[in-house]
Amino acid sequence: MNAKIKETILNPIFKGNPITVLVLGICSSLAVTVTLKGALVMALSVIVVTGVSSVILSILRNTIPSRVRIIVQLVVVAMMVILVDQVLKSFEATYAIDKQLSVYIGLIITNCIVMGRIEAFALGNKPWPSFLDGVANGAGYGLILIVVAFFRELLGSGTLFGFDILGRFGYVTNNLVILPPFALIFIGCIVWLQRSIQKDLQEK
Amino acid sequence: MNTNSNVYTVIYTTIVVVVVAAVLALVSQSLKSRQEANEKADTVSQMLTAAGFGTKAEFGKMGNAAVLDKYASVLGEAFTINPSGEKVADLPSGKVFSPKELKALNYIIKDTEKALEAELPVFVFNNGCTVVPIYGAGLWGPVWGYLSFDGAGTVTGAYFDHESETAGLGARIKDDPSFQAEFRGEKPVWDAPEESHIFEIVKGGSPKAADGSEVLEDGRIDAITGATMTSNGLSDAINVWLRAYKAYFSAKAAVSACSIQEESCCCSGCEKSCCATCPCEKCCTSDDCKVSCGPECCSEQCGCCGEDCCKPNEVEE
Repeated sequence: MNAKIKETILNPIFKGNPITVLVLGICSSLAVTVTLKGALVMALSVIVVTGVSSVILSILRNTIPSRVRIIVQLVVVAMMVILVDQVLKSFEATYAIDKQLSVYIGLIITNCIVMGRIEAFALGNKPWPSFLDGVANGAGYGLILIVVAFFRELLGSGTLFGFDILGRFGYVTNNLVILPPFALIFIGCIVWLQRSIQKDLQEK
Repeated sequence: MNTNSNVYTVIYTTIVVVVVAAVLALVSQSLKSRQEANEKADTVSQMLTAAGFGTKAEFGKMGNAAVLDKYASVLGEAFTINPSGEKVADLPSGKVFSPKELKALNYIIKDTEKALEAELPVFVFNNGCTVVPIYGAGLWGPVWGYLSFDGAGTVTGAYFDHESETAGLGARIKDDPSFQAEFRGEKPVWDAPEESHIFEIVKGGSPKAADGSEVLEDGRIDAITGATMTSNGLSDAINVWLRAYKAYFSAKAAVSACSIQEESCCCSGCEKSCCATCPCEKCCTSDDCKVSCGPECCSEQCGCCGEDCCKPNEVEE
């Protein structure tokens, strides 16, 4: 059982990463990785949403009528997303970031990772493993977000968490890196790297 | 129990939806006051930025309470006017307009019948700047902002915000200080006829004479590359709102100038006393300056990077 839980936690972080292996949640990862701060808040928001909605739906799993299960999942996920958004808006420290992320917090609802994990895991497992699975998948998503945001903020704005890093060496910021297409290139590179390490992912 | 029967399904979904709605309503109500406080501080900092009391980033670091204190200390008077330029009533102390309220006002201004009854807010700061809001439609959602004017009706500062313009393109109306800086010193064509523009954001900005010495046409700002729709939307928003304020600004052309330019040359890391003595364009602690002329060009005594101290550096290049 312990090995199984370990697998549940570790698999989504690297071997079965939702972005690089399952290729889910690409849209938002292109949009929110301009700054590290934004990516971090987005990552935490997704972790909370996937974790908590997995638990709720796992508890309800035997009572949900199968014909309307997707709608019930959607209602619970939407509730969690709105709660996260409302909480972010309520604190001085996070208000500006919530404003910067604007629609993308709300669009966590449509993030395939959330619904995907609930449908594939939470509806067939007990609450605790479901929670771990949700959190781990959120973390796997967040990890890629933070890696991409690190390079995009560093090369695109010359800063990290808003602190000037490259600017003081006379670095001229690269505007292309700030635009979404470059995030796709970065993610492509990560997928490339991962596939060259994990040979079993390569198609013959 | 048969979880697939119709009765069960209907009852189940009803309960789920009611519970979720109750939770959301409860949370929304309990957090509402905090959210409004944040939104108000944000709006205030936008107005202060337009009026030239600092940059938006500085106000962001100050925290809500400090921003509101600053606002209370520098606000001269806040009142509403009608489209004929006459004062209607004083605004309650500390009253600011949220984007939602501006939206409601925007409908009134654009409605030809109701427009005459519009009550337009005017914020006069004690440095002589008059700040008015603008609101309109960008590409994906609303855009709004604040324009600051001196007594002669010339723009002295601007700050714009948006809900969901494209990051890196349309979002530059908010994120790019150099776009907002372009508005400084631009004079709207207050007597423009109905079919032409009081203010316009177009490709190329104000046309200049061939030798660059003379501005041929006022009230023109260079649009943002790759964000034509956002630029047009903002342009329309400014036009519609300034037309509503036209009578007010035309009437008060003789009032003393707004003393912003000197203030805005200094930033937080810079001694206040240097503002009077040093004709600095930018402070050397500000990030733009480091990029544009390098840290070594700054004069150490005043902490400012003026025309003079930048020159040696340019010669070396």
